[in-house]
Amino acid sequence: MANVTIDNVIKRYGSVQVMHGVSVDIEDGEFVVLVGPSGCGKSTLLRMLAGLEEISDGTISIGDRVVNDVLPKERDIAMVFQSYALYPHKTVYDNIGFPLKMAKRSQSEIDDKVTKAADILDLTKYLKRYPKELSGGQRQRVAMGRAIVRDPQVFLFDEPLSNLDAKLRVTMRIEIKELHQRLGTTIVYVTHDQIEAMTMADKIVVMRDGRVEQIGSPLDLYDNPDNVFVAGFIGSPSMNFVHGKIATEEGVRVFVSDSGLKLPLPETTARDGQEITYGIRPEHIQIGPGGVEMDVVVVEPTGSETQIFAKAGKDLIDALVKERINARPGSKLGFVINPADVHLFDRASEQRI
Amino acid sequence: MQSKRLGWILLAPTLVILFFFGVLPFFYVVFVSFHSWNPFAVNPEMVFNGADNFRQIVFDPAFLHSIGVTVMFVFFAVVSELILGYILAQAFMRDFPGKAIFRTIHTLPLIMAPIIVGSVWKLMTTPSIGIIPHYLDEWFGITMNIGTSAPAAFATIVLMDVWHWTPLVTLTLIAALVSLPPDPFEQAQIDGAGKRQIFWHITLPMIAPAVVATVFIRLMDALRTVDEVWMLTGGGPGSATRFVGVHIFKEVFPKTNYGYGSTISVIVLYLTIVSCWLLYVTMLAPRTKRD
Ligand SMILES: Nc1ncnc2c1ncn2[C@@H]1O[C@H](COP(=O)(O)OP(=O)(O)OP(=O)(O)O)[C@@H](O)[C@H]1O
Ligand SMILES: [Mg+2]
Repeated sequence: MANVTIDNVIKRYGSVQVMHGVSVDIEDGEFVVLVGPSGCGKSTLLRMLAGLEEISDGTISIGDRVVNDVLPKERDIAMVFQSYALYPHKTVYDNIGFPLKMAKRSQSEIDDKVTKAADILDLTKYLKRYPKELSGGQRQRVAMGRAIVRDPQVFLFDEPLSNLDAKLRVTMRIEIKELHQRLGTTIVYVTHDQIEAMTMADKIVVMRDGRVEQIGSPLDLYDNPDNVFVAGFIGSPSMNFVHGKIATEEGVRVFVSDSGLKLPLPETTARDGQEITYGIRPEHIQIGPGGVEMDVVVVEPTGSETQIFAKAGKDLIDALVKERINARPGSKLGFVINPADVHLFDRASEQRI
Repeated sequence: MQSKRLGWILLAPTLVILFFFGVLPFFYVVFVSFHSWNPFAVNPEMVFNGADNFRQIVFDPAFLHSIGVTVMFVFFAVVSELILGYILAQAFMRDFPGKAIFRTIHTLPLIMAPIIVGSVWKLMTTPSIGIIPHYLDEWFGITMNIGTSAPAAFATIVLMDVWHWTPLVTLTLIAALVSLPPDPFEQAQIDGAGKRQIFWHITLPMIAPAVVATVFIRLMDALRTVDEVWMLTGGGPGSATRFVGVHIFKEVFPKTNYGYGSTISVIVLYLTIVSCWLLYVTMLAPRTKRD
């Protein structure tokens, strides 16, 4: 167990800089989730933590020890690669037991731990198989097994559940959380899955193009995104954005979109006439009388929820509601927006107002 | 069915060549091995003598000796070539100044005919004119004479073979190393494996098929080494470097003992097949089944 400090880390590949001063403080035992679009540098950051990638500038410390020049094997970390990285010539059993063997544990301990991990991961049947005889999801579980038999300072997971089916993913998610609660080990976890990020993280780090956009607890990011990017990235389906200006009409301050749609405003310091990006989450919109009238484009019922896409002028907005709505495309519906749920961003800087 | 016929038609030339230059001579040698035949003697007839040749060979000290030196030679040469070849392959996996030039130079021995390699080494090792004995004497005060010293002759031949064939090992190992995925090696570092453990647990098992294939080729090749040795020492001094190939050559040509020479050839072929088969069964077969 250890805290991890990433301080102003820069990564260059030759003349190409892909990481521009990333700083993250991770406390001992914290579960940190890295999210961001593909290619933003999540894997690179993880690989630098593991010691597989040189750090061009800045420092990384694990447990108050600067590890910039420490070999991976001396960092005491376990990692699950995005590509699984199984040993093709070893059986599932030997794959999972390899780190224990390297740590010179007794055969009985290896036996014990491998059997237990295989049980948790539902791999018992496959222990004698070779990686190429497994499906993608099974391989991924072997990679997980190889990490969880250890008791390292830090766990690094690079999209460890991406290839599992929905049911197994839920099971594994719970398994990882339990592992975290049991061992209390610091975990850095990369995922593309919103639900994984929101449910597992103590802290989410949102990255874009090699920069940190915002760090915070899941709900904090959800409720108070710093900028348009984070607002759009956190939450699924993602936040609606409408561009427009602020105006005062008949003594009431309202938001007027570029195509003339009028939407309610919360208390704000924004001036009249200021260019604004107006954000509202689909799940915060209700359908009912007294709302903003919009033309229904598509209705997507999923059973538990209904997602409605509607248009007014050039503005497209979607709402996610619990009740079943039977609206035909082209018909009109009222979209009720509670001003307290609205997020306002400066249009040019995209920063929260 | 069209494709099947086309297949045979395409294969036909190769099969014909193989039949006339491989299969037919092979059976002819087997046939001759059951005869006493000395075509240049007073009585040049081919006389069937059953298993006499085979009976004789088992107790022929000259033959047994030649097998002994051959096995020693193959062992020392192939093991050195593997170790050196691996080290060179690893070196070529890294970048260093002059790498391209060095890599080209290093493969040059491969394109030389054995007989030329033998001549070059003869020039280099002949006492009083050769560069190697000269500097051994000048720098270390060591006298080297492959014409009189059995160990010197044997060591020189091993060295010559290493010089000639290590590049082949290097090339195949480079090909194997280049094709390895990087992840298992990174994972192994994270799993706490050191350099040596990575070599034994990851690198070696992963390049094992290439290693075995290389050993295969080198084994078969080394077992029938003749020309270089013939050129360099002629099997001497005494019979110190009289490998089976050289032995057969001496039986067949100077002694014109065709029947007995054929018998040795058959036995050597048999031993080669058996040793390669053993190698295959113990090392390659379990692997190919798995991967
Ligand atoms: N060896 C390399 N040489 C040059 N650029 C690289 C190299 N490895 C990665 N990059 C670049 O670094 C950036 C970050 O890559 P990285 O793999 O960390 O992305 P990621 O956030 O993990 O994406 P994904 O979600 O798709 O896995 C990418 O733009 C990528 O092109
Ligand atoms: Mg990645």
